[in-house]
Amino acid sequence: MLSCHPTIDILTEYAAGSLPLAHSLGVSVHLDQCPHCRDQVRRLNNIGAELFSEHSAEVRPDHMASLKSKVMASLVNHEETQAAVDDNTAFQHIPRSLRRWIPQGFNDLNWMPLTPSFKLATLSNESGGAQIALSRVKPGARLPNHTHTGNEITVVLKGAFSDDEGLYREGDFICRDHNHKHQPRVTKDAECICLIILDSPIEFTGWFTRLLNPIMRYFHPNSAAT
Amino acid sequence: MNTVSETKTDNTLLVDMSQVAQARDTRALERLFDHYAPRIRAFCLSSQPGANLMADDIAQEVMIRIWNKAHLYNPSTASLNTWVFTIARNARIDYMRKNGRYQSDIDPEDFWSEMADENADPFREAQQQRDQVRIREGLTQLPSEQQQVLSKVYLEGKSHSEASEELGLPLGTVKSRVRLALNKLSVIIKR
Repeated sequence: MLSCHPTIDILTEYAAGSLPLAHSLGVSVHLDQCPHCRDQVRRLNNIGAELFSEHSAEVRPDHMASLKSKVMASLVNHEETQAAVDDNTAFQHIPRSLRRWIPQGFNDLNWMPLTPSFKLATLSNESGGAQIALSRVKPGARLPNHTHTGNEITVVLKGAFSDDEGLYREGDFICRDHNHKHQPRVTKDAECICLIILDSPIEFTGWFTRLLNPIMRYFHPNSAAT
Repeated sequence: MNTVSETKTDNTLLVDMSQVAQARDTRALERLFDHYAPRIRAFCLSSQPGANLMADDIAQEVMIRIWNKAHLYNPSTASLNTWVFTIARNARIDYMRKNGRYQSDIDPEDFWSEMADENADPFREAQQQRDQVRIREGLTQLPSEQQQVLSKVYLEGKSHSEASEELGLPLGTVKSRVRLALNKLSVIIKR
């Protein structure tokens, strides 16, 4: 049983489509492993469906007729289309919504070592948006002390880590804001891989690791503005 | 009385939908168009008032997706309204992503996992219908301030903080109104 879930506020925004895309990605990775939140989202979708179906606007009939013939005319070529559902084989452990970026498994990504025990691989940078990356930390290692300059969403993909507030396992969804300063530690039995979604760069507060901050900023899509 | 006629419409649409899926019946798709296209347009216009071109584009795109994905629709996992709503929601997000302020290579269609993987379950279908009726009736009985925030969030696609700015209310008030509404609609599942 997972212990950390998105709040109902986040799930509502997700269902309504008003959550930023990058955050929605984090939620969807969690949903992949959490039947409870899936059920919750399904119910939240039902509200949207009701509001949607009760809300119609008047349109000129001739306008709708011409739109309809456009739709009908463009069907022909698509008739055979069958969306291929990709859930094959070797990479079942990778959440479906991430497989596009991780087609060949975790090892095949372009990992950038930041400290001897901590590596980072960027999956996607939205221009002016969030950075989406994976962090990979060796068994038993401590992450450098750091703080967040914006919101950070973490979803555990493999292994487990803990901080002052608890232990987080595969599938857990953790949302931290900029007031939060913490030093996560990975459990000793296995390495830990997490999806992290950063609204703005992480800032290391340790003596020595501060030297990494320019690198963290460099790789964040928001850095161009500063 | 209203509920009875609504349910009847729902059933007619459901028959059309299965005609589309199984017989590739274009007439049935036209009937779905007549029902849904004005709603999809209205849904788009509530987030971008006046953007008629966008509304047309998205309505067209959604109807084509309904045609192409018809075989994936499973009435025991979602009502037809819910299914079409999620397609319209995703298409709206997708449109904004391609034409909007910031570019992104995240595809909202990747989030479909939540709808796709449930096993067919007759109990769930009945449950699903009960939920839907309860929500339909519950929505009309909500205080107007709660209806207002729900429509900001769902129809206009505003985040809680955008809604709080536009309504001139503290963020906490917006969040609590949404939660109160969800509670009244018995949508929140207790852990």
